[in-house]
Amino acid sequence: MSMPQSTSRQRSVFERFPFIPALGILVALLILNGIAEPRSMSYGAITGLIKTYLALMFLAVAQSFVVFSADIDLSVGAILSLVNVVVVVLIERLGGGPDSVLLACLVGVLVGTLAGVFNGLVVVGLRLQPIVATFATGIVFTGLALWVLPVAGMPVPQAFWRTYGGRIFEIPFVFYVVILLAVFIWLAVRTKYIIELMAVGDNRLAAYQSGLPVTRIRIKAFALCGLLSAFAALCIIGDTASGDPVVGNAMTLYSVAAVVLGGTALSGGSGSLLGSAIGALILGLINSFVFFAGVSSEWQNFAQGVAVLVALMAGVLVTRRISK
Amino acid sequence: MPRLRLKGVSKRYGATIALGRGDLTLMSGEVHVLMGSNGSGKSTLSKIIAGSVRPDDGVIECDGSVVTIPSPRAARDLGIAVFYQELSLASHRSVVENICLPRLSGTGGLFRNRAGMAAAAAPFIAPFESVLGDGFGLDVPVGRLRADQRQLVEIMKTLAAEPDIFIFDEPTSALDRAQVDCFMTVLRKLKAEGKSIIFISHRMDEIFEIGDRVTIIRDGETVSTSALADTSMDEILRTMTGEEAPGPAVPAVAAAPHVARQPSIKLKVSNLVAPGVNSVSFELAAGEILGFGGLHGQGQSAVLRALFGTAPTRSGDIEVGATRLKGNSPRASIREGLAYVSGDRARDGVIDGRSILENTVPIYALKNHLITASPRSLGTRAADALEQLQTKYQSLFHPISSLSGGNQQKVIVSRWLMAPPQVMLLDDPTKGIDIASKTELFRVLRDLAADGMAILLYSSEDAELLENSDRVLVFNNGRTVRELRGDERTRYHLYHAAYEAA
Ligand SMILES: Nc1ncnc2c1ncn2[C@@H]1O[C@H](COP(=O)(O)OP(=O)(O)OP(=O)(O)O)[C@@H](O)[C@H]1O
Ligand SMILES: [Mg+2]
Repeated sequence: MSMPQSTSRQRSVFERFPFIPALGILVALLILNGIAEPRSMSYGAITGLIKTYLALMFLAVAQSFVVFSADIDLSVGAILSLVNVVVVVLIERLGGGPDSVLLACLVGVLVGTLAGVFNGLVVVGLRLQPIVATFATGIVFTGLALWVLPVAGMPVPQAFWRTYGGRIFEIPFVFYVVILLAVFIWLAVRTKYIIELMAVGDNRLAAYQSGLPVTRIRIKAFALCGLLSAFAALCIIGDTASGDPVVGNAMTLYSVAAVVLGGTALSGGSGSLLGSAIGALILGLINSFVFFAGVSSEWQNFAQGVAVLVALMAGVLVTRRISK
Repeated sequence: MPRLRLKGVSKRYGATIALGRGDLTLMSGEVHVLMGSNGSGKSTLSKIIAGSVRPDDGVIECDGSVVTIPSPRAARDLGIAVFYQELSLASHRSVVENICLPRLSGTGGLFRNRAGMAAAAAPFIAPFESVLGDGFGLDVPVGRLRADQRQLVEIMKTLAAEPDIFIFDEPTSALDRAQVDCFMTVLRKLKAEGKSIIFISHRMDEIFEIGDRVTIIRDGETVSTSALADTSMDEILRTMTGEEAPGPAVPAVAAAPHVARQPSIKLKVSNLVAPGVNSVSFELAAGEILGFGGLHGQGQSAVLRALFGTAPTRSGDIEVGATRLKGNSPRASIREGLAYVSGDRARDGVIDGRSILENTVPIYALKNHLITASPRSLGTRAADALEQLQTKYQSLFHPISSLSGGNQQKVIVSRWLMAPPQVMLLDDPTKGIDIASKTELFRVLRDLAADGMAILLYSSEDAELLENSDRVLVFNNGRTVRELRGDERTRYHLYHAAYEAA
C-alpha cells in the first residue's frame, strides 16, 4: 500500500500552517472558559484579555525571529523593562505633552532595537552561546533600567493609557493594534528575509555554504526581536500606566513558552509567527480559566503550570499524529 | 589561459594535514576529474575553491590574476558554484526555495515571489523531469525527499547559481543509472557552452564517460594530471594507492555464490506491507547475500526500513531465525538480531557533534548491556573495527564531523561490524566509500556470511549490486517482479526486468 499521492506530493496543510494545532487549543480554551464562566466570553472580557496579553503577543513574535534562526533571546523581558522606564521617564522629563509622548515612544523603540543589535553583536560577533550571552545582557539591561528609574512608580499622562484602554469609532484601541500586528506578521512571512532566516536556523553551515550572509541575517533577527520587544513595552505602559524597572523580567520565559505552543521548534528552521501570537493568547486564556474555574489562590500557580503542560502535550500529540 | 589555477594550496587541522599540496589547472570547456581514496583531500580542495575553507598556504589564480576567496559569497561573485558532498540544503524549506536560496537576496525587492521563484527554478528541474520519482514536488520540504532526490536538488541548486566554474563533489553517489544519464547530458551541455567543471566520483565508469582530464590526489598531495584518453583504470588505481601491482584495489569479480551446506533460513518475510511496499515475500538463507535491484525508490529501501522497524505502519509476517518479529521499532529489530546500515548517513547514521568513538560503539554497548564503559577497553575494540575498513582518523576522540565523507560512512558500517548481527540490512551502504575500501568491506561481509550471517543488499550502483549478490530481486512499484540467479545477474537482465511493466 503506497502513500496516497496527495499527501506525499504536496506540503501538507499542517506543514504550511504549523499554527493549526495552536488554533485548536485556543478554541478549546475559549470554550472551556465559556463553560466555566459565560461572562468571560463577553465582548468586554475579551477586550480586557487582549489588553493584558497584547504585550506578551508582541514579545512572543519578537522571540520567534531569533528562535527561527536557532538562537534564543533570554533578555526580551529585560529589554521590555528598559524601554518601559526609558519611555516613562522621558515623557516626564519632556513635560508630558502629546509631542513628548510621541518622541519618547520613538526613543523607546530605538532603545529596544539597539539593545537587540547589541545582543546580536555579542552572540554572533563574539560567537557566544545565545542562551548564556543573552542571560547576561539581560542582567545588564535590567541594571540600566534600575539606573534610569530605581523604583517602580512615576505615572504616565492620562492621555496615554486613556488611548490604550479607549475606543476609536466604537472599536477598542487594542483591536487596532492587534490588526497592526496581524498585518506585520502577514507581511513578514512574505519576505525573502524569512526564507533566509529559516534556512540559517535549519542548517547554519549549509546556509553559509550557500553564500548567505549568515552573520547579518542573525544580527537582524536579534534587532527585530529588540524592536518588537519595545512595542511590547509600549503596550505594557498602556496597560499599567506607570514605569517599573522589572516589569518584563518574568515575561521572558513566557515568551519562549508561547513560541513553542505556537508550533515553532526551538531547534530552529521552522515555525510560525502567527502561532507565537496565538501561543501568547493560549497562556492568557489558561490563566483566566484557572481563575474562573475557581481554583483557590494558593493552588493557582500549580494549576497554571499543569495546564501549560497539558497544552504543550496536546500540541505535540496533534503534530505527531499528523506527521505519521 | 586557464580559468582557474591552484598552486601549492594546503590546509591542516591541528595535526591532520587535510591537504598538503594541491595543484590544479582548470581549463574552459573541460570536465576535470579529481580522484583519490577516502580522506585524501578532495573535498578539502573543493571547499577551498568554494571559499568555505580558508587555505593555510598557496596561490589561487582566476583568469590569470591572483585571488583570495574568503567566503562562499566571494566564490559566487567569481562565478564559482559547488555541489557539496554532504549537501547544503535546508530540510524544512521547499525544493523551490532551496534551489533559489543562493540568489534570493541578489534580486531586488523585499518580498518573495512564489511564481517567480518557481519559474526561475523550472529550467534547472526540467532536465531531470523523467527521473525525479515519487514524492517529488516543488512545494515538498527537502527533508521529506529520498537521498537521491535530495542529491538531485543539490545539483539543481548548483546549476541555478549559473556559474562559470562548477565543482561537483560526489554528486552521483546516491543516484541510479537513469538519473546519472540525465546528469551526464546536462554536464555535456555545460561543457559545450565552455563552462569549466570539476567532477569528483568513486565510480570509474562515470569518470571515463564524462571526464577529459584526471588529477589524482594521494594523501593530500596531487600526484599527477593526465588526459583520460591516455590512461587506464589500472593506472589510475595504481597512482591513487601508490602501489605497484594492482593490489586489492581492483574490484572483485563476482564472488562465487556461497552455498551453506544445509541452508538454514535466517529471514523469512511474507506479505510485507508498509508505505511504499506492496506485499513482498522472500526467504533468505544463512550465508547468502540477496541483492535488491531495480530503479530507485521502487520499494527496496522501504522494505529494508520496514524490516528495521522505522516505517510508521507495517503488516505481514517476519521471522528472524526461528522467532517472529513482533514490535515495530528499531529496538525490537536490533534485539532480534537485525542491523541496518544506511547510506543516508546524515539522517540515519551520524550522531552529530559526538566523537568518533561514541559513533562507533553504541550498538556494541546496547547489545552487551554495558552500563558503564571505559574508553580504553572500548577504544581498542572500536579501533580494530575501524581498522578493518582502513578508516582514516586523527584520534577516536575527534568529532565525527572532522572525518571525510567516506570515512564517516566507514564509521557507520563499523558500528554494526563490532557486534555482528544475524541479518544485515544494507541500504546503499558504500555511499562515498572509495574503491579499495569497498572491496575490503565486501570481503569482510563475505567472511561474516560464511560464518552464517545473512545479508540483504541494496545499492544504487549496479556493478556493486551484481558483483556481490548471490541472487537479485528486482523491484518495481513496491513489488518484486523478478529474481535473477546465476548467469542472469547481468546489467542487461537487471534493466530488462526493471523497465518491464510489472
Ligand atoms: N574539519 C575538519 N577537522 C579535522 N580534520 C578534517 C576536517 N575536515 C577534513 N579533515 C580531514 O582531512 C582529510 C581530508 O578530508 P577530505 O574530506 O578532503 O577527504 P576526501 O578526499 O573528500 O574523502 P572522501 O572520498 O571520503 O570524501 C581527512 O583525513 C579528514 O579527516
Ligand atoms: Mg569528500
